[in-house]
Amino acid sequence: MGRESLLIATLVELADNLVDHYDVIDVLTVLSGRCVEAMDVDAAGVMLASPGGELQFVASSSESMRVLELFQIQADEGPCVDCFRSGSGIINQSLSEADGRWPRFTPRALAQGFRSVHSLPLRLRGRTIGALNLFRTTQGLMSTDDVVVAQGLADVATIAILQHRSSLDAHTLNEQLSNALNSRIVIEQAKGIISQATDSDMDQAFSRLRSHARNHNLGLTEVASGLVEGTLKPGDLDQRKAPR
Amino acid sequence: MGASRLAEIFALMAKYERESPHGLSLCTVAAEVTELSGAGITLSSSEDLKSKWCTSNKIAQDLMDLELLLGEGPADDANRSGVANEESNLLSPESTRWMLYAPEAAALGARAVFGFPVRIGGVRFGALSLFRDEPGTLSDAQSSDAYLMASVIGRAILAMQAGAPPGGLAGELEGQSTFDFAVHQAAGMLAVQGSLSVRDALVALRAHAFATNCVPSELAERVVLRQVHIDPVTGTWRDEMGREDS
Repeated sequence: MGRESLLIATLVELADNLVDHYDVIDVLTVLSGRCVEAMDVDAAGVMLASPGGELQFVASSSESMRVLELFQIQADEGPCVDCFRSGSGIINQSLSEADGRWPRFTPRALAQGFRSVHSLPLRLRGRTIGALNLFRTTQGLMSTDDVVVAQGLADVATIAILQHRSSLDAHTLNEQLSNALNSRIVIEQAKGIISQATDSDMDQAFSRLRSHARNHNLGLTEVASGLVEGTLKPGDLDQRKAPR
Repeated sequence: MGASRLAEIFALMAKYERESPHGLSLCTVAAEVTELSGAGITLSSSEDLKSKWCTSNKIAQDLMDLELLLGEGPADDANRSGVANEESNLLSPESTRWMLYAPEAAALGARAVFGFPVRIGGVRFGALSLFRDEPGTLSDAQSSDAYLMASVIGRAILAMQAGAPPGGLAGELEGQSTFDFAVHQAAGMLAVQGSLSVRDALVALRAHAFATNCVPSELAERVVLRQVHIDPVTGTWRDEMGREDS
């Protein structure tokens, strides 16, 4: 598929997802995956600010520990934090040992094979609520088109997080952010349960969770909550992969 | 705001902890941080709110007794739904959800009440309820602070159940992230290993970290890497070689 068709397909898919009772983490996971397909990037993910103002990871194109680690470090330092604090994007930031800008983040990102990063703000009426993070395994500039596409997808992510609330006061926004972040914790707890019960690693556990949710037309968080609360047993999860 | 706000909360906790250990001062901290008239924390064991844990003053205590008696109100709602709620004018409530509670609460002197769920992922601990003696909604800052406070309370409950030293809660929570993947993944794994609820698994993880004098996130990483596990029969912690982990 060409880039434009891919983008249109992505927007249609997201619009299709943004109907009643959608799962924010699910939509943001899809969006992160499409970032990788539609742009020249190798990994993508979304971080959101908690009501206390700390940045936390909520969704990514990859659930592998090596990528998740790069988001976890960014609670303290990294392109997302800088983007979040300044409210403006960080584009084409090359990573190199010599650069002391992010002493913890940069060496880990380099060790995982990444050579440049970008971070785009999730903005809502003057307030920054998080950041979309893109990783590339090469240096060199991202095209102007890609930057526009990336900011467009960051805006779609913002809409997804707000869950089509018509009146959006600060209290509602806090609630949405707080729920999205808590959902991520439920999912991590469920991944642990599945991983132990089925002797699989964490990204396989996530895939299984996601397949089951898709096959049964349920939200990721809903399935994860069932596992944590014990109303759903890991053995009850579907074996087969979800159709795309 | 942000990280510094959290530091302010821990400083307040440390201050009140000297006067009243075992977390009982958390309500006082909650009321002070949010600049409201009073606060209460209720703990749940399952679907129902079972007991009140602490309140910051007499009215807060009466409100909570009322709620436990009637089985409806902000704490009960927040705990059941997992979503925050507010009634900004008890004298002319916007909804009819608390037909019994609203007039009685107003008679006790409250004009607005707010409920926030206390949870960590899929584990529900109970609720934080706040009241004010004047009507009105929460400001942006009060709303952020209440969410932040609810998250601190959840972590405090865990730490206490795991045997954190009374009077040392603030220091205990200060160095730890709310959001450490390994801790939550490990809790899920331990729950399956030891046939525990995820809540008990979180407590077990903290307790073993205390007992072996290590940081919970490091112990959690060892669990995820399968270097240490809970024995399904004896419930003891064992390393890869099957030796007791100490």
